[in-house]
Amino acid sequence: MLERRPIWLNAWLYLIAGLLVAVAVGPALWLALTAVQPAGTDLLRSSGDGSGKTLSIGFTWDHIARAWTDGKLAGPMLNSVLVSFARAVLNVLVAALAAYPLARMSFAARNVVFTLILATMMVPEQVTIVPMFTTVVGLGMYDTLVALIVPLAVSAFGIFLCRQAMMAVPKELEEAASIDGASPLAIWWHVMLPSIRPTLATLFAFSLIGAWSELLWPLVVLQTKSGFTLPVAVNELVGQFAASARVYYAAAVLALVPILVAFMLLQRFLKGGMFDGAVKG
Amino acid sequence: MSGRATRWLTPYLFLLPAAVVLGTFVLYPMVRVIGYSFSRSTPFLAPEGVGLANYEAILGSGRFWNAALNSAAYLLVTPIIIVLSLSAAMVIESGIRGRQWLRLMLFVPVITPTVVAALAWRLLFGEEDGLINQALGAIGIDPIAWLTQRPWTLVTAMTVTVWKGFGFYMMVFVAALLSVPKELKEAAVLDGAGRFGVFRLVVLPAVWPSIVLVFVVSSIAALKVFDELFVTVKGVPLEHQTVVPLIYEEAFGRGNFGMASAMGVILFLLILGFSFMNLKLSLSRQKPADQARAGARADAGGTH
Repeated sequence: MLERRPIWLNAWLYLIAGLLVAVAVGPALWLALTAVQPAGTDLLRSSGDGSGKTLSIGFTWDHIARAWTDGKLAGPMLNSVLVSFARAVLNVLVAALAAYPLARMSFAARNVVFTLILATMMVPEQVTIVPMFTTVVGLGMYDTLVALIVPLAVSAFGIFLCRQAMMAVPKELEEAASIDGASPLAIWWHVMLPSIRPTLATLFAFSLIGAWSELLWPLVVLQTKSGFTLPVAVNELVGQFAASARVYYAAAVLALVPILVAFMLLQRFLKGGMFDGAVKG
Repeated sequence: MSGRATRWLTPYLFLLPAAVVLGTFVLYPMVRVIGYSFSRSTPFLAPEGVGLANYEAILGSGRFWNAALNSAAYLLVTPIIIVLSLSAAMVIESGIRGRQWLRLMLFVPVITPTVVAALAWRLLFGEEDGLINQALGAIGIDPIAWLTQRPWTLVTAMTVTVWKGFGFYMMVFVAALLSVPKELKEAAVLDGAGRFGVFRLVVLPAVWPSIVLVFVVSSIAALKVFDELFVTVKGVPLEHQTVVPLIYEEAFGRGNFGMASAMGVILFLLILGFSFMNLKLSLSRQKPADQARAGARADAGGTH
């Protein structure tokens, strides 16, 4: 065993941990407190004797309600849920499909295909955004939610992740199913997918978070307000409610809560129990 | 016969959906962007070849160099992210109480949509009544124009990038730290190494590959930055922006598809530099490990 930590070092560790938590959670918390602070009152008020400021937290639904109704966020919320969920499901399925032959079958073009897939990882969408846009327009997807789902339905990274995980699945499982006469698709569904569940959950979570947060691509391919996703809609409100900032802060809070809840629900399925025991207690 | 044909086809059928998507929306645009970059092209005009004119115009314009310089400055987020995420990972790995909660809390910024993060920091960096300027005022520093003045606008956006990123890289370091063999640390202590010695001689070499990885990945992410600048310091002139916002403005603000594509190709070359660096470093990392393994094998052979 290593020697026990002295008390000063422990105190130091807890201090740093506390600071990190304050930095990580503070800004979102301050945003939420500001969004529900009644109009005309400040969170930080100068105390009477002028010696400093005191914190006085109030509560009102006003800004949240205005963001939701005047900001017309119901549509964007639905769009974001739809797009993010579809993207996450497709990313998992399409990547897992492609990964299976790359991990487990030998065929002529395997190395060429795998190299091409890895090559796509080196070119980010920011580089090819113009031809991506003209392609989407050419296919008649402009200003539709399909343009947010199909072009990003799979990533090379997802395929790579699934391939690595499938390579570690014991061969015997596959062989046993194969002797029983299972088709490749059945083996993929009944043997492979259940065996790499933590990887699939991780890919699902990250696709969901990525799609929920995305701004540049929806900004480029969406035009009609009712078809906006939340990030684009919230960004619009910053201009629209320039005079009452708390309304767009409230809109930001509305965009944050669903993904936080979704992540809390998902986190215990994540790879290697990334956050084991944190919520379950 | 048909059975053999299906067996031959099977791998390609599995690959089909991914091939269609990646082919249409990644590989094809990769080829097209090069073509566009050598042509004059707008949303309403068919591309017309202009040779190197776009590249000449870009490299001869102050606008692009200014954005490139801002992007170069933006790379400063990388060392900050490494220090912050490695420190956070070490705190978690130290086994303090409540570390699962700590991990979850530090992951909140990663989950937060960038637009939300941008607005949260826009509030904190508010020039008149933002918390940060108020705190600075309390220690006698004049308010800083975080949202309107260079270089502060860049600092503000970089803060959002660091905040949103470090929790993710922390997970990479936690995994790396957990893989450091305890025996090595104990051996170092027995050999008289202090805490800092253990860190320098055992922990640092073990996590070095992860540091390189995080360096490359976060540098590439920094070169691609858009959301933070677009929202946090909304409305600032183009001189405050980095390369990707410039590409966006060139393509979808001014409709210069050719110019925007040429800028995209230049951005790709910059990113490629980092990717190659990663490849080279990971190869050179492989070698000593292989040698060590070969050496160990030779030793084992010698005892027989």
